[in-house]
Amino acid sequence: MNAEPGPIVQVRGLHKWFGLLHVLRDVSLTVQPREVVVIIGRSGSGKSTFLRCLNFLEQPSAGEIEVAGLRVALDVGQRPPRDRVTAIRLRTGMVFQEFNLFPHMTALENVIEGLVTVKRLARAAAVPIGERYLDKVGLLEKRDVHPIRLSGGQKQRVAIARALAMEPQVMLFDEPTSALDPELIGEVLEVMQQLAREGTTMLVVTHEMQFAREVADRVVYMEDGAIVEAGPPDVIFSAPTSPKTRQFLERIL
Amino acid sequence: MGLKLMAQQRHEHSLALLRIGAVWAVLILGLTITLTQLRIDPGYLVRRSDILFKIIDGLWTTIGVSLLSVAIAAVLALVGALGRLSDNALAQGLSGFYVSIFRGTPLLIQIYIIYLGLPQLGLQLQQAGFRELGQLFILDALTSGILALSLNYGAYMTEIFRAGLQSIHHGQWEAAEAIGMTRWQILRRVILPQAVRIIIPDVGNQFIAMQKDSALVSVMGVWEITYLANRSARLDSKYMELFLVAAALYWLLTIVSSFFQSRLEKRMAHAYER
Ligand SMILES: Nc1ncnc2c1ncn2[C@@H]1O[C@H](COP(=O)(O)OP(=O)(O)OP(=O)(O)O)[C@@H](O)[C@H]1O
Ligand SMILES: [Mg+2]
Repeated sequence: MNAEPGPIVQVRGLHKWFGLLHVLRDVSLTVQPREVVVIIGRSGSGKSTFLRCLNFLEQPSAGEIEVAGLRVALDVGQRPPRDRVTAIRLRTGMVFQEFNLFPHMTALENVIEGLVTVKRLARAAAVPIGERYLDKVGLLEKRDVHPIRLSGGQKQRVAIARALAMEPQVMLFDEPTSALDPELIGEVLEVMQQLAREGTTMLVVTHEMQFAREVADRVVYMEDGAIVEAGPPDVIFSAPTSPKTRQFLERIL
Repeated sequence: MGLKLMAQQRHEHSLALLRIGAVWAVLILGLTITLTQLRIDPGYLVRRSDILFKIIDGLWTTIGVSLLSVAIAAVLALVGALGRLSDNALAQGLSGFYVSIFRGTPLLIQIYIIYLGLPQLGLQLQQAGFRELGQLFILDALTSGILALSLNYGAYMTEIFRAGLQSIHHGQWEAAEAIGMTRWQILRRVILPQAVRIIIPDVGNQFIAMQKDSALVSVMGVWEITYLANRSARLDSKYMELFLVAAALYWLLTIVSSFFQSRLEKRMAHAYER
């Protein structure tokens, strides 16, 4: 009866080399729609690289990536077709550690930029959508303010709105709170928690273990470019199978 | 309290401006007196106001040549900078070669080569039967001047544009790529608007320098300030008088350009002020 919807992200045998440095070693991961996956691991373990391979900000060296029904399979040395990459980027939204808002645009202009230039919406049609997403992150009253006049937390919320406005099917977060003063982290995590409640599919790289515990459906532990272990947060945090995971958690908790 | 502080700062600022202005006034007055003492004849400019106005007329040619040349140079510089930054060896090689040649040789030589050297080539081509093609190499003085200034300044400005584009954090590219923008869209909507603000002071300096370098096109007999001053001065051997007029006109041009430049800088800074 109920046609089982397929996974929304499927990665098989992903490899990434930076020159001679083997940064991702045969990574495979499947993410179901509405799932929240939190990726943890030491600095340099390849978390960011993995996330960035999903929307081809980083060119995977080899492997297979399928996002929202769009598949790219690469052998060593192959480049993905450009239009396929663009299509995948339209189905993924990304939030960066450093926000990367466009400083010459107001908050609203940031949010509607993709709608106007990529989706070719008329400005008049894009504005209400932009306002809706600014409202969603609680910043509608800042619509005409330039990023320099926003706090770090507000900047990151605008950046989230910018990604959401494109109505992606998967959201990628790369340490969204790591550049924030401690007192500003909460407001960003709150927005993310709200998104999770609404059923947004999310892949989140973070050092916020509390968030991982409370919000993640699944926690993935990465080390040396490989996924060591993945499972529900209570299992990973209280009874990890791998001694590597245990060691990592002992050090940070 | 903050307001009071700001008001005080503004007050001190205008006081400083006033003092600097006073120094300038004294300097100009001193210069005028000295020149009169030296039996310079300012009255000549009144008696022969026809000559004075003719030189002032040259101002328009100077402004026109400079504006057109800086505009063409900016286009060349953008293309050159994109070439230097591209990962295509051909584009990199071409733009590097261009910059090297036009920065490495005197502007005056470039003017001579374009105005006097190229026609030689054109004539040879015409003799070989390529009439139309040959004609393209035979340029009038004004065109030659604008071409030389554009190519020369385009080379310097390529480096300015390159540095400006490179100064934009790569995170800006990534954020724009992540929402699906193409490279060209990113350049046009995200990178260039930010880079322009950064390079405006340098490009402004180039424009101001070019106004003065445009005096070199006088060697081809283009009727701009320098040529007219030079030609008129010979009539009655009033060199000091008329070249001072020319100098003053260039100076005025620089002052006006600087004023517009700082206004532009202020306007573009708006988005970046807290
Ligand atoms: N552009 C690059 N060129 C060369 N090496 C890189 C590049 N980007 C990342 N690396 C290397 O790849 C490895 C994995 O980096 P990555 O940024 O994915 O780690 P991470 O898990 O996100 O670390 P962190 O927690 O510090 O963000 C590191 O050794 C890093 O030095
Ligand atoms: Mg990282």
